[in-house]
Amino acid sequence: MTDTAVKIPEREIDPATGDTSIANYTINFGPQHPAAHGVLRLVTELDGEIIERIDPHVGLLHRGTEKLIEYKTYTQALPYFDRFDYCSPLAMEHSYVLAVEKLLDLEVPLRGQYLRVLFAELTRICNHMLNLGSHVMDVGAMTPNLWMFEIREDCLNFFERASGARMHSNYYRVGGVRQDVPVKLLNDIAEWLDTRLPQLFGDAISLVAENRIFKQRNVDIATVSREDAIKWGFSGPMIRAAGIPWDIRRAQPYDVYDRVDFEIPVGTRGDCYDRFMVRVEEVYQSARIIKQCIQDMPEGPVLTLDRKVGAPKRGEMKQSMEALIHHFKLFTEGYHVPAGEVYVATESPKGEFGVYLVSDGTNKPYRCKVRPTAFSHLQAMDFMSKGHMLADITAILGAMDIVFGECDR
Amino acid sequence: MKAPAPRYAANDGVIDAAKAALGDLLVEAKDAVGEVSLTVVREKLCDAMLALRDTPGLEYQQLSEIAGVDYPERAERFDVVYQLLSFTRNHRIRVRVTTDEEKPVPSVTGIWPVAGWLERETYDMYGVLFEGNDDLRRILTDYGFQGHPLRKDFPMTGYVEVRYSEEAKRVVYEPVSLAQDFRSFDFMSPWEGAKYVLPGDEKAPAAPVPTPPVKDAKTSENTAQTGAGQPHPGNQPGEKPKDADVPAPKGEGQK
Amino acid sequence: MGVELSAPPPAGTLPDVGFLNDINAEIADKGFLVTSTEELFQWARTGSLWWMTFGLACCAVEMIHVNMPRYDMERFGAAPRASPRQSDVMIVAGTLCNKMAPALRRVYDQMSEPKYVISMGSCANGGGYYHYSYSVVRGCDRVVPVDIYVPGCPPTAEALLYGIMQLQRKIRRIGSLDR
Repeated sequence: MTDTAVKIPEREIDPATGDTSIANYTINFGPQHPAAHGVLRLVTELDGEIIERIDPHVGLLHRGTEKLIEYKTYTQALPYFDRFDYCSPLAMEHSYVLAVEKLLDLEVPLRGQYLRVLFAELTRICNHMLNLGSHVMDVGAMTPNLWMFEIREDCLNFFERASGARMHSNYYRVGGVRQDVPVKLLNDIAEWLDTRLPQLFGDAISLVAENRIFKQRNVDIATVSREDAIKWGFSGPMIRAAGIPWDIRRAQPYDVYDRVDFEIPVGTRGDCYDRFMVRVEEVYQSARIIKQCIQDMPEGPVLTLDRKVGAPKRGEMKQSMEALIHHFKLFTEGYHVPAGEVYVATESPKGEFGVYLVSDGTNKPYRCKVRPTAFSHLQAMDFMSKGHMLADITAILGAMDIVFGECDR
Repeated sequence: MKAPAPRYAANDGVIDAAKAALGDLLVEAKDAVGEVSLTVVREKLCDAMLALRDTPGLEYQQLSEIAGVDYPERAERFDVVYQLLSFTRNHRIRVRVTTDEEKPVPSVTGIWPVAGWLERETYDMYGVLFEGNDDLRRILTDYGFQGHPLRKDFPMTGYVEVRYSEEAKRVVYEPVSLAQDFRSFDFMSPWEGAKYVLPGDEKAPAAPVPTPPVKDAKTSENTAQTGAGQPHPGNQPGEKPKDADVPAPKGEGQK
Repeated sequence: MGVELSAPPPAGTLPDVGFLNDINAEIADKGFLVTSTEELFQWARTGSLWWMTFGLACCAVEMIHVNMPRYDMERFGAAPRASPRQSDVMIVAGTLCNKMAPALRRVYDQMSEPKYVISMGSCANGGGYYHYSYSVVRGCDRVVPVDIYVPGCPPTAEALLYGIMQLQRKIRRIGSLDR
């Protein structure tokens, strides 16, 4: 079950020609495989080296999160979203807080919105570093990954300075963010964007972008047409690489995305190389957005001042009885969300990450369905890899950017 | 709309256009929390979806998501909710059908192949059957899993748990036994009106007995009533340590 | 399971220390060193802990970070190894689900002796945030014997590094574990 176990059917001799007819191989890939980016099991039918059919088995990381969320208050459910797509935790929280805010019809202070966009874009850089790095590693290059992880370390340090945790920040709140960031952090991020990021990232990409071997492994692998991309429910870099300029940040702006200026990279051929290059360009665009956020960010509160939703500060609690009572109520009972249902989708680094939230008016979600990005992409694995070689599976998987935390939930 | 949620094209006229396109396929249409949801006739779901996809002015090209919702108190307890997205009109819409454990929902895999896995997931989680989906296997839960975990009557901790058995030399399934139960607090009934009996409260009478009126209301107007200022053992000046910072030696000070 | 750390080893397992010191003093300047094979093996084992990459969930990302240049776990001789046959220690990084449990045990059974297990993160330690879920194993020690537990959700890279050093200490003190 762990390594590729080969099952060889018995060979039969064709009586007419005397040739040995060779049946297809069935190969089991995973669930523990270094190129599977987690716990993926692929049951692969091969004709020699050529892939005939792939049946992905998912659910090996099915943690029952949607069930657990129904038993937690809205505040307690938030950290589960960090753990969905653990490569881009804050982007997952973003969908959830926006969905709850939509049900509450809650106004968010402008500085809170800017901070959320800033950290969502930093998360995008962080996620793309992991994905691009492991993609090039899967097709045989080692060095770029080492440099890109250095960028990731810097990003994680920024998250730690803002929220206290390296990975699972739990930083966004319904109504804004948990706490304001120090000015020094914003200065450091701005300086990092100007110096370290372009230097390390530029160096890393220069090694692979024009590399002949890298192109041979990726160009014209798993091309997807525009029609297929729509039919199979693609989103994010996958649909943009297919040539559809669809970006939820631009088309359906949330928070302050309508106040920042950025471009949407689009692919032309819809192959693995295009997906790679779309992500590379997105990193530069994210850096642009972060710079604008730092520049335009106004002063002011970062969390809603509606005390029925936003928790009071510690210092305030020591002065005011009202604040103490609100704090107690918010962290035991939580807030009640009006009955209704919303579907809020944001542009996570991997694509459209949606939250379908049904509230029955209590302090716990009645139903919280997560729309994972990986589900539709992985489902298309079968038709995308048909006719390709076995070794191309790693390139296709790497360019899909799949994380099982959100795929299996 | 004050919330900074994704802002797409306005909902004006969408319901009218859907009514015109769907005709009697439509059961209910409403516009709530800034989102349009349509309820359609279950048997004619595919026709409705095709109309929503192909009618100019609606043009919902992509199926984003299929979600199940369970309302155990209803006759047709399950909602199957489809989220559609239009790239050209930049609009989202929600289509809903209701069903129960037995009545199958027509599969939309013929319209959007992405529905294949989404329907498998809804089947896995709720046991909703989809007619026309030829690959309706379980997808997320364990191989050989029993039950449909997201139904409201399925316990959160499930029925079985796994353990490696040294005797059997393999991973075995056993009935679940928790070291500590999940602590769930009921915040919905703060003081009165609880319909259930708290543990340990069984002996209490079913109907709350009204408290008899108090003859002498307890007041605290003077020190005689409250007992304040009375000498209290262990609280006398002689019983205190002399220096507050130096702990008294044994047998001295606070006796 | 259960390892007694305080009890002295049974007589006869360790050589006479005075005898060793005498020989050592005699030949140390000639470029030789005297030790027992047991200690030599333990030294070699601690210095070459090839770990099996068993990344399951979020913790796997921190596990990768430990191997990257900033923390560089290979300083301690702990190198990633994708095949269970050649690895010495398995880092169970992430939530272990019911569906994955047989595969985890299969990988563990394939590893060659002596083998060690590090349980990384609260999910692997005891279910953590997902303890009450219907599909999560409440601690990977229900499936494999665990030597070192690293707490955190996820543990930082430093924490995992410290866990590796604790495992090295444990190996030095008690040699290969008797299961």
